[in-house]
Amino acid sequence: MVDAKRLEILTESAKYDVSCSSSGSRRSNVAGGLGNASFGGICHSFTPDGRCISLLKILMSNECAYDCEYCPNRRSADVPRARISPDEICELVINFYKRNYIEGLFLSSAVCDTPDKTMEMLYETVSKLRRVYNFNGYIHLKGIPHADESIVMRAAKLVDRMSYNVELPSERSLKLLAPQKTKNSLLLPMKNLRNAIEDEKQNGKRRKILPAGQTTQMIVGASPETDGQILKLTEALYRNMNLKRVYYSSYIPVVRSAKLPAVGAGLLREHRLYQADWLIRFYGFDVDEICPADENLSAEYDPKCAWAIRNMQLFPVEINSAPLEMLLRVPGIGAKSAYRIIEARRFTALDFDNLAKMHIVLKRARHFITCKGKFYGLDGEEQVKCALMLANGDETNEQLTMFSDRENAVAAITGEI
Amino acid sequence: MKIYITDGTPETFFTAAADAVNDEKCMITSDEAIQLAFDSEVVKVDCDENKCRRMIDCIAKYDPTAERNILLCLRSGDGLKEQTALEYIRKILQYRDSVSKRLSLPEVIIFNETLSKVTGEIHKMTGFLRFMESANGALYAPYSPDNNITDLLMPHFAKRFGSEKFVIHDLKRKIAGMYDGRECIMGYAGEAEIYLSEYEKSFETLWKKYYEAVNIKARPHEKQMKGYMPVRYWKFLPEKRG
Repeated sequence: MVDAKRLEILTESAKYDVSCSSSGSRRSNVAGGLGNASFGGICHSFTPDGRCISLLKILMSNECAYDCEYCPNRRSADVPRARISPDEICELVINFYKRNYIEGLFLSSAVCDTPDKTMEMLYETVSKLRRVYNFNGYIHLKGIPHADESIVMRAAKLVDRMSYNVELPSERSLKLLAPQKTKNSLLLPMKNLRNAIEDEKQNGKRRKILPAGQTTQMIVGASPETDGQILKLTEALYRNMNLKRVYYSSYIPVVRSAKLPAVGAGLLREHRLYQADWLIRFYGFDVDEICPADENLSAEYDPKCAWAIRNMQLFPVEINSAPLEMLLRVPGIGAKSAYRIIEARRFTALDFDNLAKMHIVLKRARHFITCKGKFYGLDGEEQVKCALMLANGDETNEQLTMFSDRENAVAAITGEI
Repeated sequence: MKIYITDGTPETFFTAAADAVNDEKCMITSDEAIQLAFDSEVVKVDCDENKCRRMIDCIAKYDPTAERNILLCLRSGDGLKEQTALEYIRKILQYRDSVSKRLSLPEVIIFNETLSKVTGEIHKMTGFLRFMESANGALYAPYSPDNNITDLLMPHFAKRFGSEKFVIHDLKRKIAGMYDGRECIMGYAGEAEIYLSEYEKSFETLWKKYYEAVNIKARPHEKQMKGYMPVRYWKFLPEKRG
């Protein structure tokens, strides 16, 4: 059994990876086996930093051959080092899973010796977990850059999700801060995996390779890229690599370096990026509508609000006749609210009071809608801007410091607005 | 005003509802401790299978999916659950149609909220339930949920645990679901005495260590944690018990 000290070191080393999602896979249990995957994902606990624990997130080893500037485990750092054997990991996963502590495993590793050896070690572990320990719960495996493609492909057939982290939002920053990783060493394997997934789909074979797809992560605020550039890259990754999620991790100065800023990026910037990401994925917005390439997202307003203020000529829209796409563009009205409005108005014309009773949040929306032709917002652009800034101030304080209900809390992490 | 008191079973509720739908001012409750108004007339309801069946058929005629949702609503821990369900049935009978999409009706709004509390807790418990391994290898999970959901939680764990035996014990309602590796049974269960496996303590300690280590101390956000994971559930979480 692994001892508490090593578990601590290897968890501390893994915790800055944002992704902990266990969604997207329908893997079922087999006779004599343990575990299955739940398509919507399940959170098993929450830590005092407000993040969810779904998977056992751990490094196999934090003994790294690379020297990435921002990483606490870089070769030149003076930190305690540890490693854990495949059997020790399997034992931990099985026993945590049986107690319903976790939904599965998120396995990663420092580049231990060579990339090939590291990837081989990761493969050996997940292979043992699936075949010897008969584990059918969720596995998210980190890809090691520069590792041999054939090992990566073998691993991809056993796990639910893989991720190659692009680490930084531009090639230049990557060169500066993570000199041993190259753009190609991160994007090429991503592309290969995408192709393998597509092949399987087109040949109508049973999905074996990465049923929950690929994700990636980048650090925001350690390098000079603007939100506009970051979102452009995000959009390209969704389009070209078919990624399921792009995660942002706002830079926390854990390492002192002349090449890195001394202060962290703050949660608000990360939060705004997630909101923008959400608009791109689910609300039919283009990046150009939300944020020009050389600009940052507004701190005062959420991105949908900022867009609406720039496009006042499109509002107000009548709640009883506006098409879904337009309802979704009203600040404060999310997908669930839009759906409720569309269903309810088929039976009766809705007034302002109806909306309030249906728990549609009107603090921001009221300036952009009419109900049965009546307008309930403020007149004049300046007044509206002022009111929205106040409403957003509430929201920002609320979302970053206080969560009254689950829906709000989920919104804060996913960026839903 | 008539107040129909039921024994809490769905059958008795539907029996009472068969009379109550014709009386605009009455109430149904299974809460014996309910505050009575001075003009209340208490009617103790006994289950009548025929009446119950007729009520359900009548509802199904207009909305075949309503029965399932009403049964879910009746699992709520809310003292007004029977009343919420009754008002919902009244609307179905009034419109002679499904009202599930009439999302601006106050009765439907309250009904749907009650439902989502029940289904929401089922989902939460698929994550927050904690099993302990007993000396004979069976897994045991005590909890006290807001709503009566144990039998609905059983299939989730039966599917993933395969041949592992387990028990989910609702301490509040004194009922337990048992799975022997093949099928689930529900039964009464008062207090349980559990002899833990010799490894239990070690894995629990490792889990607590993990929980502590994976937290980013530089970014405290207690309120968000509590928003997701309400304090009333902490009693059964080893990582929060200290």
